Amino acid sequence: MGQTRGRIFFFLPALVLLAVFVVYPVANTVWLSFQTPDGEFAFFRNYADVLSEPEIVDLRGFKRGFPYGALIHNIIWIVIHLPLTVMLGLILAVILRDVKGGVLIKSIVFLGMVTPMVVGGIILRFLFDGSVGILPSFLALFGVKQRTLTAHPDTALFALIAGSLWLWTPFSMVLYSAGLETIPDYVYEAAVIDGASPLRIFFLITVPLLRPVTGVVVTMTFLWVLKIFDIVFVATMGGPGGASNVLALQMYMYAFREFNPNAAAVVATFLMIVALVVSIPTFRALRGDN
Amino acid sequence: MRRKILVVLLVALVAICSLPGVAAEKKLTVISGWSGPEMDAFMPVLSAFEKETGIKVDYQIYRAEDLAVLLPAQFDAKTAPGDVIFMWAWFVDKHAEDGHVLDMTGYLNEADFIPGALDPVKSGDKLYGGVFTGKVKPGFWYRKSFFKKHGLSEPKTFLEFMELCGKIQKISGIKAAIASGNGVGWPLSDIAEHFIASYAGPDVTHALIDKKISWQDPVVASVFKDRLVPLLEAGYFSEPVEWTMAQDLWWGGDYGLFFMGSWITGMVDDPDDLGVFSLPECKGIVFAPDYAFVPAYTKYPEEARQLLAFLSTKGQEVQVTTGGHIATYTKVPLSAYPGVDRGVAALLDGVVALPDLDDTIGGEWQPAFWDQLKLLWVSPDRVDEVLETLQRKAK
Repeated sequence: MGQTRGRIFFFLPALVLLAVFVVYPVANTVWLSFQTPDGEFAFFRNYADVLSEPEIVDLRGFKRGFPYGALIHNIIWIVIHLPLTVMLGLILAVILRDVKGGVLIKSIVFLGMVTPMVVGGIILRFLFDGSVGILPSFLALFGVKQRTLTAHPDTALFALIAGSLWLWTPFSMVLYSAGLETIPDYVYEAAVIDGASPLRIFFLITVPLLRPVTGVVVTMTFLWVLKIFDIVFVATMGGPGGASNVLALQMYMYAFREFNPNAAAVVATFLMIVALVVSIPTFRALRGDN
Repeated sequence: MRRKILVVLLVALVAICSLPGVAAEKKLTVISGWSGPEMDAFMPVLSAFEKETGIKVDYQIYRAEDLAVLLPAQFDAKTAPGDVIFMWAWFVDKHAEDGHVLDMTGYLNEADFIPGALDPVKSGDKLYGGVFTGKVKPGFWYRKSFFKKHGLSEPKTFLEFMELCGKIQKISGIKAAIASGNGVGWPLSDIAEHFIASYAGPDVTHALIDKKISWQDPVVASVFKDRLVPLLEAGYFSEPVEWTMAQDLWWGGDYGLFFMGSWITGMVDDPDDLGVFSLPECKGIVFAPDYAFVPAYTKYPEEARQLLAFLSTKGQEVQVTTGGHIATYTKVPLSAYPGVDRGVAALLDGVVALPDLDDTIGGEWQPAFWDQLKLLWVSPDRVDEVLETLQRKAK
């Protein structure tokens, strides 16, 4: 009995803080998303209105090209960024594990991760600039017309995705590096004695044993991309013509440009639901693995 | 006993320090988006106020776009980051309605300002802000030495303007005839506004502000399709380049022309080498004053009002001497202006002074305008889509 009281005593402050700073704002946001600006209950009208806006989904994009709407842009971002981050992080971690000076190279790669995203966004702006950018100048060596990649609707989103890979891949590399340390050496030694090739060792030992880490990397990356805001805000402000707009930026526009908290709450609630739908099953699966 | 004395002394010290005027020196905070050379030019104004009143003033830089996010939340919490804040007039007007802005009625005499200058921060009989100097957005700037070297002259017709761009484009080392400044997007909107004022006229500019005419109206569409788009399609405008970088590149000879406001005269190495012309047939020029207000949550309401009144009156005279600014306070003598600014002021002769279109409309429409122009600049073939979006956002 005394032990239970003690637990409650220590648990209570955290519970109160969570209730005040997490549960209440979340519940209030969800409630706000069902209200009109006058405070009347609107059922799903806000959702229908917001989701039918071209800023969120613009089907004309499939005919004429970008923009496709923030929701589609987020999906494109996830589809490209997620597998590349996982693969690049894993490959870098494996390659750099036993390489001389690997720690130094990892530290250099990790610089992208410790760079504040706002600073990263500014760097991207100049990195892709047609006049002073490194990438357009490099591409020009191969005869590609030198232009500002973030200024054109057909390249703006892809340029930002490429930039986000630089900023986020170190995260997966570090997790995989830590994961690799947990695989006992004797497993590899046994595989070598059995005559397994390095490629078979990678696919049949390293990859399966890193599955829990992959789960974490996939979930965290998914959530990061879903809420991506800062680099877009700084580098392109969602432009040109909404070609690199994303949901979090649109939420900001609703809240602080239109002063429409209800529409912003719809996007916030939508993002939260998607995040929950993805993360809960992943973490459950990981628990099962353990 | 000794401990008791010590405690008493400490309590007395705390009490004395808590007295007004002893605890902390009165210090006002002014917020605006000016940094770099613009800030350097503004600091003498604040120094003049400090000298005149003995009140210390601190200066902080916040872009208007950032203030638009920060201030509503601060106002809800009944606080403010500064005592005098430079901000868009539409924003001041909107938040004055909700009681977040101090009344300035009686602190400024409307008759001392150019007609209509204070209107954007007025609501009925009440005045909710002050007006500072204005910036004229007269047209395309060029280096006189560059024009002389290449035998170029100012155009008198639109056709001549097109020809001038063509000639500049052919000069060796030139990336494009006109440097397109970019920032959050306002430099492009300044160009578009100049085209509208020149080829659709001041009345159409006012009608667009008042939402009495559609962006898809043939008159408006014609400005875009027949004037702006041909220049964009010919590649005479560069890609949008960050505007301070664009200015350096233009000054360095990568571009021949640069559309910018009159503040450029205070930002270049040799203002005497500057020339400027408006678009041929120009009927209106944007004259955009800067507005400031005192938030209702300032600690020092009287001193803050005093500062805003100073900025709106005597402060303007100090500011115009640094170049690039045109006073809205009519008591500023012409002798206060540098020579190059008198030339800018001359461009206003015979044309209508117009408010800044996107700053006046504001809200969600403003960033949409900037963003759609960025699209138009690189994809002029999508002009119909741009106009349709602008109209949808304007509703």
